[in-house]
Amino acid sequence: MNRRGFLQLIGAASAAALTSSCNRVSSVVGNLSGPTDLIRFPEKTEMILLTDRPPQLETPIHYFRQDLTPNEAFFVRWHLEGVPTSVDLRTFRLNVSGHLRHPLLLTVDELRTQFEPISIIAVNQCSGNSRSFFEPHVPGGQWKHGAVGNAKWTGVPLKAILGRAQLKSGAVDVSFNGLDVPPLPSVSDFVKALSIDHARDGEVMIAYAMNDQPLPMVNGFPLRLIVPGWYGTYWMKALSDITVLPHPFSNFWTDKAYRIPNAPNGTESPKDLAKDTVPINRFNVRSIFVRPEPDEILHSGAPTEIEGIAFDSGYGIRRVEVSTDGGTTWTDARLDPEIGKYSWRRWRASWTPSNRGQYRLMARATNAVGETQSKEQWNRSGFMWNVIQQVGVKVG
Amino acid sequence: MTPKTKCVVLSLGLAAVFAGCGRPANTPQEADHGIAHSEMESMLDSNVDSPVHTIVMPHDEPVFPPGPGHDEFVTACVVCHSPRYITMQPRFSQAMWLSEVKKMKDVYGAHISDEQVPRITDYLVSINGKASTGKGPKGAYGE
Repeated sequence: MNRRGFLQLIGAASAAALTSSCNRVSSVVGNLSGPTDLIRFPEKTEMILLTDRPPQLETPIHYFRQDLTPNEAFFVRWHLEGVPTSVDLRTFRLNVSGHLRHPLLLTVDELRTQFEPISIIAVNQCSGNSRSFFEPHVPGGQWKHGAVGNAKWTGVPLKAILGRAQLKSGAVDVSFNGLDVPPLPSVSDFVKALSIDHARDGEVMIAYAMNDQPLPMVNGFPLRLIVPGWYGTYWMKALSDITVLPHPFSNFWTDKAYRIPNAPNGTESPKDLAKDTVPINRFNVRSIFVRPEPDEILHSGAPTEIEGIAFDSGYGIRRVEVSTDGGTTWTDARLDPEIGKYSWRRWRASWTPSNRGQYRLMARATNAVGETQSKEQWNRSGFMWNVIQQVGVKVG
Repeated sequence: MTPKTKCVVLSLGLAAVFAGCGRPANTPQEADHGIAHSEMESMLDSNVDSPVHTIVMPHDEPVFPPGPGHDEFVTACVVCHSPRYITMQPRFSQAMWLSEVKKMKDVYGAHISDEQVPRITDYLVSINGKASTGKGPKGAYGE
């Protein structure tokens, strides 16, 4: 048997071993129509199971009632099957190399003790959050709105690391690689890059703590990159290699994947796909209902608190308008005090429905530079969803 | 290894899968989606000061029914990712599933021969596809 045949055999045997939990062999229904599967991963609480290998776990919306998303509930998304499951802090090194004078090999302890720490409260959102709402549907992680979270990230500004390493002139990009590895040699390793100016802006940072705790393994222990205001694809988990380049970075995950139409709000239509695309980058502005939850039953004559969160790429939320009549009339919600420029901001509105029946609640956020949410939106990858959310509730 | 031996090993592997499913036919069953709900104990060091941090990933993978294309699917696809990557999707058209299978082969280098592409596609359509022949939008690279 040649090597290819042998690999296929191993693959089949592994697959058989992996599927050894007792499952009924019966028709399999697409998850969109079925009840939600929940799963508990190590160091995590019960989360909505999209996929287990590699894992994609969604946060139940009620966790967004807290300003900081608990580590055990923070969403999880890996691209490659070889997710790191064991790290020895004695031998782990953050490798900083490339177009610089002093390559560095830093332990987590050295990062904690040799550099002045900073903390930033910042939203991390998956590029494909809310993808399941795209019409027509597109393939990919079929998230509802829970692939997002807000946390306090503590660590070292990347600027300080690059400063110690002393860049050579002519640095163009900085690439970031994590400990995860591809399942086949033909699968491109998951590596992303930022421009040198972005990398040095003092806000991009390497976090060794999340909400004052070490990161859960499936959220990137021991280190992850924090890119405030930019989509999660750049927030490299289990960060192990930083490479400064004297030329633009190029790989599958930058040149082919994670591209958006070079058009307002990254929008195109299925019959007229954009010819010009750019790498996905900063968040658009959006809001997400926290209460009531879809299909909740409320009582006529009883006051109810409508609540949600809103965020953008760092300009700040100026207003959130709420409608309880399907968009006919709008009133301003009350905004909680700002937590930080990259944190989400909570908004609230009190509502006493007088009549029984079905209602559509809507929320529309606008930021300080006038960006607002869209009424409809589509792109082939299911990225950047920020359509004005509608929540159906019943008043009885 | 001869083809016959390979067949025996595969059969033993699949037998191991089905051997675990020893439920009598009249056992009460929860909502049937062919997916078991499993919980695994997280495995952490008991000593939080230990420099070695280790977890064990749970597996909760649906077993797909037999049929034409099933074996190719298990060999070419499940080696890299859980079958949930298929069941999670909406019911896509034949055209969309074909686009996805081609993407796995051409972009990610999955071990799928030209002859296996339509077989695997038809199998995925049987699992989670639409009967209509409408063309879906062009699939995208990356997620």
